[in-house]
Order: sequence, then structure tokens, then C-alpha cells
Amino acid sequence: MEPVIRLNDVHKTYDAGDSAVHALRGVSLEIAAGESLAIIGPSGSGKSTLMHIIGCLDVPSSGDYHLAGTPVATLGSRALAKVRNQRIGFVFQSYNLLPKASLLRNVELPMLYGGVGRLERRERAREALRKVGLLERAAHLPSQLSGGQRQRVAIARALVNNPSIVLADEPTGNLDTQTGKDILALFDELGRQGHTIILVTHDPVVAERASRIVRIVDGQIAADGASAVAH
Amino acid sequence: MTLRESVFDALVEVRVNRARTLLQTLGVILGVASLVAVQGMSDAGRRQGVKFFSEFGGLKKVLVLNKPLKERVQTATMLASHGLDWGDVEALRREVPMATQVDPIAEEMLNIRTPTYQKLREVTGATPDYQAVYKFFPARGRFLIDDDLASMSRVVVLGDSAARLYFGNEDPLGKTLYLGDAGFRVVGVLRRKEFYFNEGDRNALEWMNRLTIIPITALYSRFTGDPDKKVSYINVVVDKVENNKKAVDAIRKVLDRRHKGVRDFEVIDRKERMKQQQQQGQIFDIIFMATGIVSLLVGGIVIMNIMMASLRERIREVGVRKAIGARGLDVALQFLVESVLVTSIGGLIGLPIGVLFANGITALIGQPAVITPQMALVSVIASVAVGLVFGLYPAVKAARLSPVEALRYE
Repeated sequence: MEPVIRLNDVHKTYDAGDSAVHALRGVSLEIAAGESLAIIGPSGSGKSTLMHIIGCLDVPSSGDYHLAGTPVATLGSRALAKVRNQRIGFVFQSYNLLPKASLLRNVELPMLYGGVGRLERRERAREALRKVGLLERAAHLPSQLSGGQRQRVAIARALVNNPSIVLADEPTGNLDTQTGKDILALFDELGRQGHTIILVTHDPVVAERASRIVRIVDGQIAADGASAVAH
Repeated sequence: MTLRESVFDALVEVRVNRARTLLQTLGVILGVASLVAVQGMSDAGRRQGVKFFSEFGGLKKVLVLNKPLKERVQTATMLASHGLDWGDVEALRREVPMATQVDPIAEEMLNIRTPTYQKLREVTGATPDYQAVYKFFPARGRFLIDDDLASMSRVVVLGDSAARLYFGNEDPLGKTLYLGDAGFRVVGVLRRKEFYFNEGDRNALEWMNRLTIIPITALYSRFTGDPDKKVSYINVVVDKVENNKKAVDAIRKVLDRRHKGVRDFEVIDRKERMKQQQQQGQIFDIIFMATGIVSLLVGGIVIMNIMMASLRERIREVGVRKAIGARGLDVALQFLVESVLVTSIGGLIGLPIGVLFANGITALIGQPAVITPQMALVSVIASVAVGLVFGLYPAVKAARLSPVEALRYE
């Protein structure tokens, strides 16, 4: 079966003033549908760049990236926006909720850009909030919530268009241990439901929960294998 | 994302940043107010003009008057032509179909005398039609009637001021006024005519109150002794304003023929005349309009500035929106809708303020300005245009942000 994500010799170079920064130096990686993967590595190793490329937020400087068989390099900006909207759900370390919008509106946002009608949108947003246990606070603003609650809203938002891939960048980085565990349990649940989960983290404890760990060092894959913890 | 949802987001932004929005709208408020004021004033001015002219014939009037020739060396035809006369009046009555009335007026300087008064003054020879054209009705007694005209009666009708002048506080009705050597019986005193363009101005219609009017036929038979019956001017009332131009052409044709091509007369279209008068007032309109446009430009620049600042605050938000599927167009629309919303609010506030401006100024004229559909249109178009033009740069800038850099922005 065709892997959902296939990277072949991907390089990424940033132009930083006089010198070029090589964030990725030849990454090749295949991720099968439904896999649960952790990308780990020290800061500056290129793991965030890798995630941005996988998430179609950025394009490789060289090398190929196929997403579900489609070469991403052939897609225009509108098509990329659609891919981000329909196939990928992002969860960020700092939640990145819109501060002036209610929780409901925040969760509705991907459907707004996806062109979902008003009634269905409302219904699905409420359902997504219910799944993360925050339905009764739908009208609240993000600033009225704790960090863990905010991250649950962000997860609801990431999932509301039912994407096949969920990308999470240090999702527990701003949370205390217990709250972090609750959030990770949510990701485990998503994995069981068949979503492809990609977690970027520098925390080995978090990474251990994934079935596969990819270690990035200096823009290259240093290790790729099953995690120590079996599921 | 639909326009409606963009408006919703923009409303949230505006509500959260009330003070900022107010600052943003100030320039637009002033600009729209100035433009609306111009509109309101020229409107009030026009209505004022219409009202003034309606006091003596309205806009459906074409005036024909004598014009002395300027040529120093005159041909025989020029010398033979002696200006407007009774024959012209009858020709016009016959040959200008859109004329509903052709009313000749002759003037003559005469020695006017009562037991207590004596002076050389102008006497007006008129027909009974005169009162309809000038809306000049008797306060007491009567105006001239057809019978007066037919029998060249020695009767006189006086304007209010003229009556006072000749008879002081006595009742002039039935008294005798001597014009030259002939005694004329006073049969009517006319209602006072008053019109003030500006408060405290002199009465623009006082000349009518000073009139001494006798039947035109009596004027000819007793004073001018002129077989051609010369006429000072002719009021031609046209059936409808749209026909004014046609009437002017027809009148010129008839008179050119009768005067053998000598232009010793002038034909003045009341409607054209009013247009010219309005053009004289346009310098104020232009000043106000320039003020308005400058305010709008400054307001637009302020809006662009604040939108740029607000964009810098919201770079991360733009990144998030792009990460979850917003296209460049969606982001541009969001910012554009926001700036148009802000300027529209400015336009809405500016509209009544402009009407207040206009009212303040036109109060001097005594004609209140009202909100007309044109004003509303001016304010809507001006404010939306400013929002679009000055919102475009921040909107495009936002749309072009790279999602990765936007997300990384602190």
C-alpha cells in the first residue's frame, strides 16, 4: 500500500542574511496511514521544519514529497490551502486559538474555510467540543480557560474537518505533567480511531507513547525505529 | 470563507477595539461630513433660487427685452429698426405655439403728482395678465381688468411702497393720481412682495412694491403718442420648462424676421439664467469639496496606518488561519472587509454631521437642509471607496505572508 507520507531526499535551506542555513539535509521518510509517529531531536535539529513541510506549510528546497500519492510540489497555493484544510489537523505548543473568538467560533474556523454550511458547521463544532468535554463552555473566550482546556479546544479544531493526518508540535510543552498525560491520552484515542498521528517533541516520555520514533539530528535522520514501549 | 462570515469577524475586531476604531473613523467622518454639507448647501441654494424666481414667473418664463445696438457705424436697416413693439407681441402670440401667455410691458418716465407729492418716476404700462405672471395680487381694490385695457381707462394700481410714497398714511383707493396732466383713479393697492436671500438682507423684491401700474393701452394713447406702440419688454410664459429652449428658438426666429436680422433685442431663458447664478456660488462648493476630499485622504492614510499596526499584532493569527486552510484571498478579504466596515461607520456618523453643517450655514439663508438620497449616496460611495483603496495594501500584505514565518512570529 502507498504510504500516506513519502519524503525522498528532502533538503531545506533558509537564507539567513549572508549565510544559508541547512535545516534539512536529505531526509527520506515513509509514514503509513494510521501510524503513530514521534519526531524527536534537540532544538535546532530541523524537526519543526520537517513538520512544516509535512504539513504543507512550507515547501522543500529540493527533493520530493508525496502526500497520499500526490507530489506536493505540483500544487498551487490554493490547492495547498485546501490540503491543509481537509487532510491535515494542526495542534501547536501555544494552542494558537484566536483570542477574540469564542471557543465555538474557533472550532468552526476550519469549516468556514472549507465552505461548510452554517447549520452543519454549528452542529459539528458542538460535537467536536463535546468530545473534548468543553461543550458547556462553547461561548467562552480562550482567555477564560486553563492551558489544558485550551489545548483540548485546539485539538477539537484540528479534528473538526476529520483530517487523516494530525500534526502536533510540542502539544504538551506548556502543560503540567498530569494535564499533558490527559492530552496525550486524547492523541492515543485518535490513533485508535485510525488517524495518522505525528508528534514533534523533545520530551522522551512523550515520544515513548508513539509506536515509532524518528530522531533528527542536524537536519538528518539519526535513528528510526519502534519505540521502547509497546502498544 | 463567505463575505458574511468576514463581516462577522470584522465586527468582532471593531467591537474589541472601540477606541482604535473611533480614531480610525475621524478622518472619514470629517470628509463625509464636508461632502454631505456641500451637497446639502447647493441643494438648499437651488431650492432658494427656484422659490425666488417663482415670485415673478417661475422657471417657465422667457424674457424678451430691448438691447441697444453697440455698433458705432450703423447700417440703414439698423437705423430703421426701433426695438420691440406691439406688432412683435402679436406675431409672437400667433407663431409661438408653446407660449401660453405673451405679456408686453411698456415703461415711461412721467411726472407723478398728488397734492402732497411730485416727482419724475417710472410708470409701468401692463395688461391684466401681469398679475398672474408675477403672482402680484391686490391687497385692497382690484388689479387691471380686460375692460380697462379695451377702453384705455384712466385707472392706476399701486405697489404698497408706492401707495405710501404718494399718499402717506391716507387710504389711496378712489383718490386721483396725476400722471403728467391726466388724472388717474387709484383702483387697487397690491400685496407687499418680500424675499430675503440672507437674513438681514434688503428685500430683493422691493422694486415691485414701488411700481405704478396703468393699462398699457392708456400709456400709449395718452403719453407716448407712438403709432408703433413700443414695448420695453415681453414676458413669454411657456407651457412647460422642457420647452423653454424650443420657445427661445421660436421667439428668435419670429423677431429676426420682423427686425430684418437686426439683433436689437435679447431673449433670456429663465432656466439658463438660474443655472448661471448657481455657477457663481460654486466656488464655495469647490472649497468644501476640496476640504472633504483632503479629509478623506488623510482619514484613509490613518486607516491604512492603523491597519498595518493591527496586522503586525495579528501576524500569528494570520499564520494560524493559513495553517487551518485559509487561502490568501480569504485573508485579504478579512482585512478589506474590516477597513470598509470602519470607513462605513465613519460615513454613517459623517452623514448627520454633514447635514448639521449644511443646516448651520443655510440657516443664514432661511432654508433648512434635509438628508436627500443624493447625500446618502455621496456618503456611502465616499466611505466605501476610502475603505477599499486604503485597505487594499494591508490586505494584500496580509494575504502574502508566508504561513511558517507568520506562525513563528512573536
